[in-house]
Amino acid sequence: MKKTEALATVDPSILEKPPSQWRRLLGFQNISAIYIFIVIFIIFSIWTPQTFLKPQTWANLLDTNSLLVMAALAVLVPLVTGVFNLAVGAEIQWAMALCIVLQLKPEDFPDLALALNTPWPLAVLITIVVGGLIGMVSGLVITKLRIDSFIATLGMSSILVALTYLISANRPLKDVQPGFHEMYGWHIPLGDFRLTFPVIVLIVIAFVVWYLLERTPVGRRMYAAGFNPDGARLSGVNVGRLQLGATIAGGLIAGVIGVLASSKVYLAGGFGAGMLIPALSAVFLGSTQFKGGRFNVWGTVLALYVLAVGVLGLTLVKVPDLFTDFFYGVALIGAVAMSRWERTSKRTRAIRRATTLGAEAKAKLAAEDEAQLPPQLTPTQTALKQDGIEDQGDKP
Amino acid sequence: MSPSLGGQPLLKVTGMIKEFPGLRALDDVSLDVSSGEIVAVVGHNGSGKSTLVKILAGVYTKDAGEIEFPASTPEEETELHIIHQDLGLSMQLNAIENLGIPKYRGASGWAPFNSKREREAALALISRFGEPFDVTVPVAALAPAQRSIIGIARALDGWKHPRNILILDEPTEALHASEVAILFEAVKKLAAQGAGIIFISHRLDEVLELSDRIVVLRDGRKVADEARTEVDHERLVELVTGVKAGEAETGRVGRKTGEVVLDIENLSGAGVEDVDLTLHKGEVVGIAGVLGSGREALPALVFGSLESEADKFELSGEPYAKRSPRASIRRGMGFVPGDRGKFGSVRPMTARENTTLPELKSLTNAAGAVNVRKERQHVMGLVGKYDVKPPRPEQVFSQFSGGNQQKVVFAKWLRNEPRVLLLEEPTQGVDIGAKQALYNAIDSAAESGAGVIVCSSEAKELVRLCDRVLVLRNGRVAAELSGEELTETRIVLEGYGLGNEGVK
Repeated sequence: MKKTEALATVDPSILEKPPSQWRRLLGFQNISAIYIFIVIFIIFSIWTPQTFLKPQTWANLLDTNSLLVMAALAVLVPLVTGVFNLAVGAEIQWAMALCIVLQLKPEDFPDLALALNTPWPLAVLITIVVGGLIGMVSGLVITKLRIDSFIATLGMSSILVALTYLISANRPLKDVQPGFHEMYGWHIPLGDFRLTFPVIVLIVIAFVVWYLLERTPVGRRMYAAGFNPDGARLSGVNVGRLQLGATIAGGLIAGVIGVLASSKVYLAGGFGAGMLIPALSAVFLGSTQFKGGRFNVWGTVLALYVLAVGVLGLTLVKVPDLFTDFFYGVALIGAVAMSRWERTSKRTRAIRRATTLGAEAKAKLAAEDEAQLPPQLTPTQTALKQDGIEDQGDKP
Repeated sequence: MSPSLGGQPLLKVTGMIKEFPGLRALDDVSLDVSSGEIVAVVGHNGSGKSTLVKILAGVYTKDAGEIEFPASTPEEETELHIIHQDLGLSMQLNAIENLGIPKYRGASGWAPFNSKREREAALALISRFGEPFDVTVPVAALAPAQRSIIGIARALDGWKHPRNILILDEPTEALHASEVAILFEAVKKLAAQGAGIIFISHRLDEVLELSDRIVVLRDGRKVADEARTEVDHERLVELVTGVKAGEAETGRVGRKTGEVVLDIENLSGAGVEDVDLTLHKGEVVGIAGVLGSGREALPALVFGSLESEADKFELSGEPYAKRSPRASIRRGMGFVPGDRGKFGSVRPMTARENTTLPELKSLTNAAGAVNVRKERQHVMGLVGKYDVKPPRPEQVFSQFSGGNQQKVVFAKWLRNEPRVLLLEEPTQGVDIGAKQALYNAIDSAAESGAGVIVCSSEAKELVRLCDRVLVLRNGRVAAELSGEELTETRIVLEGYGLGNEGVK
């Protein structure tokens, strides 16, 4: 049978059986990170069981990486609306410096203009608000000046590095007020296990972001704005405002991370900057989990912890630290490649399901695919359209 | 001009077939071009012209058929050159640089420029087609006709012999009348030197002026292949529309219309000038016109996605000055754009999410969250009502076929019973079955009180759907047709500005 006839006569609804719910949920496509986790877990359990399998190790893992997960969420929220936030590391570093410097006594640090002996809760509040303001500036640059988010946030990042230097004179500072440092130690004991303060904050933020993105109309519109800004605009979505809101939210989260980080490690150079790549990797890897190519909260959280377990394992088997960066770099590229592949392959398969009939037609299609790679349209060719029939993206 | 080289055509296309899901874009189309001949390929939008060009260009692969170059010999290979509508020039580069782009393959790409020689070569090339012009300014600063000449010169540069094929795809789209003359002179010169020219256009007067032979496509089929001398305006319009002059189906009467919902005076913007438009409740008004007449911009101007000015703009009696898509939706307008993928939808999202995107408020609970169960039920109902196949709200939009995508877009706008429904090319790229379903949806929307504006390049569609049709030409209303006057032929004639020459 000719392919053309198959196309004309077949009602796709009869052909296409919905794939089984369970198979889809547990399929590698849907939760590959969990399978990767299992593999990593098995490898390191065998390699270094005495350290890797200790409960303490896992409690630490949850706690130390909670800040990184928040950083990933600070990247995720703007990215859903199509805005890259490459300044997240610098934002965190800045917030750390600001939060500490504000608490310093002016008499001890006459050279620091912001050493105002601010009570620490107020310093925390200011830091978070300023974080939001920085996000707002990025957002305004992107939406009002129409500067690509890559460039805008890269520039912002450099500016923040300079400002951080300016307010802290690039000194390691640790003379915080007593209550501030204790904040990091707050926890809820759960038997042997301790639910530490950063983990609690993380859970709260993750739930809020999840609710916002996946339960509210605002979240729906944010996704629409990110996928297709033009189409979303014509459906009444105020794309600019959502992007602005998302960068503000990202900035606020970065402020929170800065506060928590400074209460833990005081002001250490480079602490924030190192968070960008793992955060980006987690967001992209997360987009291949659960939601079939859509950036999402739980995928991001899962992906980050899977990556962290990998890093933990590497550390335990005494691989030099520099391999952590190597690992995250590979993970970032791999994750983006996976998310790309996920999107295209899914589409191809679905169309094929809907348009093929029987083995013969399938074989014919396959043979044709061999023969004709999908044409790469040059801008000229893309602009060729005027009859319009072909350009609706309907062609297989 | 007659075929030379022992009657062997330069290019021979036989039995070309191209299928898209649910649509046969080219159905057994054959075509040949001889040396020295200018063959025009005409047809409406959707007739298959572009598909043909894209197959020849290698953008699409054909499903069946042959492309041969019978006159091609090892010593004198026939080459195929295509000048696309947008010319493919780099606007920031100057003429010299643009002419150089296809050259310098491989190692020669690393050799330094000899700017003087380059400039002389460029001037020599373009002066073959008339007055030379400044080749050192960015192409963006040149007149459109000059750009076309660069495009042609570039395609011709390096021809080893004149007997090649040149395809011009809607080359006059961006040109003024005087510039068209310049271009035509250049094309005629080429043909006189022995090139075979395929001229793709939907401007019938130009076709009649330039071509030696005319091939007419309609719905993917070749309906005529006649010498220019055999065809006049009237005959050509008949061939293009497929309706015999004087026998056309006329517009419908008897739709009950109510009070005015949309009252616009002197709407201007994006190529549209001073258009007055009144729309009544339950009325379907069509907008016709050739590409570039302002037809395609009008709905976007009304909806507010393109900026516009108007002396008066009233929606249901209330003035509506600051227009934006968001405000328009709130005021009860819906807009189905022509480009479904780019503007009409968010392709990676599901049918459900696409459908409810413009208005989610009625589906939220007290906590401000979307009640997904309610939403699913709601969309399931819509999917059934508009006969979307497969009836699965959770399927991603891009995985539906063209017609069913359009049904989803319709459902999205019709679900809240709009006061004004703006439709741009509502059945573009849609198969016959889905087309009927969409027509029914438009009819029932009008019946339930919506004012509908349909902007379409298909005259037949407008006659089928509309009570009244405004024909635009050069951004202004050239004619308003209704009742007896509303025929396909009249729409086409008025669109091309041939109102006095044609029928009746």
